[in-house]
Amino acid sequence: MAMNLARRILLADADAFYVSVARLVDPEGAGKALLLIVGGSAERRGVVTSASYEARRYGVHSAMPMARAIRLCPKATVVPVPWEACADKSRQIKTVLEQFTPAVEQASSDEFYLDMTGTAGLYRNEPLAGTARRMRAAVWEAAGLSVSIGGGTSCLVAKLAAGVAKPLPGTTGDGVQIVEPGAEGEFLRRFTLADLPLVGPKFQERLRRLGLRTVDDVLRHDRRTLVAWLGDREGTWLWERVRGIDDAGVEPARAAKSISRDATFAADLEGDAALERQLLALADRASADLREAGLLARTVTVKIRDADFTTRQARRTLPEPVSSDRAVYAVARELLAKLRAARRVPARLLGVALSQFLRDDAGGQLSLLSPEPTASHSPPLPPRPHAGASDRRATRAVRTRRRGAGANPRAVNRGSGRGV
Amino acid sequence: MKFTITREQLQEGLTAVAAAIPAKTTLPVLSNVLVEATKQGLRLSGTDLDIAVSTTVAADVDADGAVTLPAKKLVDITRELPSAPIRFAAVGEQRVSIECGRSKFKLLGLPREEFPSFPAVKFDGAWQATAGVVHKLVGHVAFAASTEESRPILNGVLWELRPDRMRMVATNGHRLAKMDVPASGGTSADLIVPPKALEQIRRLFASDAAIDVAKSDNHLGFRSGGKLVFTRLIEGPYPNYEQVIPRENDKAATIDKAAMAGALRRMSVVASDQTHRIRLAFSGGTVKFSVQTPDLGEAQDELPVTYEGEPLEIGFNATYLLEILKYMPTDEVRLTLKAPERAATVEPVGWDDPASYMALVMPLRLVD
Repeated sequence: MAMNLARRILLADADAFYVSVARLVDPEGAGKALLLIVGGSAERRGVVTSASYEARRYGVHSAMPMARAIRLCPKATVVPVPWEACADKSRQIKTVLEQFTPAVEQASSDEFYLDMTGTAGLYRNEPLAGTARRMRAAVWEAAGLSVSIGGGTSCLVAKLAAGVAKPLPGTTGDGVQIVEPGAEGEFLRRFTLADLPLVGPKFQERLRRLGLRTVDDVLRHDRRTLVAWLGDREGTWLWERVRGIDDAGVEPARAAKSISRDATFAADLEGDAALERQLLALADRASADLREAGLLARTVTVKIRDADFTTRQARRTLPEPVSSDRAVYAVARELLAKLRAARRVPARLLGVALSQFLRDDAGGQLSLLSPEPTASHSPPLPPRPHAGASDRRATRAVRTRRRGAGANPRAVNRGSGRGV
Repeated sequence: MKFTITREQLQEGLTAVAAAIPAKTTLPVLSNVLVEATKQGLRLSGTDLDIAVSTTVAADVDADGAVTLPAKKLVDITRELPSAPIRFAAVGEQRVSIECGRSKFKLLGLPREEFPSFPAVKFDGAWQATAGVVHKLVGHVAFAASTEESRPILNGVLWELRPDRMRMVATNGHRLAKMDVPASGGTSADLIVPPKALEQIRRLFASDAAIDVAKSDNHLGFRSGGKLVFTRLIEGPYPNYEQVIPRENDKAATIDKAAMAGALRRMSVVASDQTHRIRLAFSGGTVKFSVQTPDLGEAQDELPVTYEGEPLEIGFNATYLLEILKYMPTDEVRLTLKAPERAATVEPVGWDDPASYMALVMPLRLVD
């Protein structure tokens, strides 16, 4: 029975993904800089998306304000994130991995969970580590990027193993680390609680006050004690995690719940017109992502962070799903006006998020015929609303030109005229 | 090859064939018309490989022969010539001289051997039908076929031949049209025919013409007078449409077709251009139409209706409803409904015709 099979889960994690892609895109500049920081804006108000291993030695890490990163590592070369190239590379990696198993879940742009349960026969009982090494080679071949692969009986173990597998200077990592079934408990003992996914700074602080810093610290207590300290949900959660127990499965089709774009400004923005221009660009990009994913959205959210770091947001759910730049922008502009009316101070960040998705090709149209079993070779009926709306043509044209514009993906944007 | 033909005869023959000749093609000979001079007259043929059309027109043939000539050029020349006899003669292998009065042309053709051979359909034991009946079926049903490529079978029109009736059915998976006409004799068959071929039948055969219809393994042939049409058949089986035709719709509305189409068109202006969603609310003696589109605005309308059943709110793609109304042959139509997510049917009211006709359409889910 499939139920009784030990799960075989892999996590393939691209090594220094944004840094590697930036180097591939710009071999003469970023490609030659050992100290490389990717992210933020040249004006240094954004944050670090990723940094080369050499730059990390100076204390630079992702999500750090760019200004601080540059103070720590003043000789570093700073380049913007090559978003489009990253999306391409991400797709290439996924395509390669899907040749090994159909159950591939993309957890982020550079992390992919693979469920290899039941593939032992397919790969003639090749050890999982062997399959993983072939995957690494195939990704290198197709995308020119190096991935580290961790494996085990759960997503949690696979994720931690991938961290151990990273071939960093000064470690023994060689790109693949598989934890055999039964060895999870022992493997987990080397980690601190901060290493576990979902254990953030606040939770760490709470645990530290209870004298819990490492996995071993937690293993000394029974479940009842943990539940008494942390409550039923978190106590049980932690008790299971330190033993490598994690039932979360690989969900190939796990769909995003929202699509968002935001921008931190080089200098705080004061004027409504300037904010609206930024909003247009963000609405443009968010709705382009939406259409790329073949989705329509019913909810539009605008987020604004004031100069004093107060973050506020406003949202509206529409009676009809939308996907065009024009429709998204029209709603976003009203929401921005509302936020600005409530508090009109300089803003340092603006964001647009789209959620409550509907498949673009469904639009709620119900189908007359279920896909016939007798016609199994033909795909299900395409419930398709009328295409050819001028909005979509316009956005498609802009997207095509934007792609062609190469290095500067924002070279072509729609004008912010009121009349559009 | 040598023959003389009147401009009118030639033009008639070319008009019949030209519509089957593709404007753009990767195979050069397909943009040519096959010209065959025999003792029976002049046979002209064209094909795009899916459909082939052939017709014979009267001509004085002095010497048999065949060649293919660029169809568009031949049509243009014929149009510009005066109304007088035209003399064609082969000049060498692939060249043809055309003379009419003092006008002289030489056209370069391609050898007939390059022209695709026509499907071998035998007309022994063919079905017989009056063209007008086929026209009626095609004219009311073919519009509902799918134009998407993802499920090829739905690109065709199902033509069911039975001893006592003929039926055509077409659907794109969201809306369906079906018509039955009484018939007599003939064997049973289910044919899935590309609508493009059926349009050729409508165009080429006069309503009162008797046509023979015959089938080979994967082709269908139509014959009447000197005209022949062949088409590739789409391989079945066709989806089981019978099971989606609702039989338990317990709500019925009788509406003036023109008034309803008017209201739908008005609502469409403001409807989402992606979903075309409009909302219909039936109750008592009215149907209320409404539409709300986030970045555009909203609209409402109302019509009197004879309605039996519990009040019902239901969403539709306005385009689908409008299209169905367009093909309804009577001034009043009857809608039957069951629930917001169940198929609705549309039928003519008081149609004085032996045929029976119905369309059905699946709703759009209302999102709030």
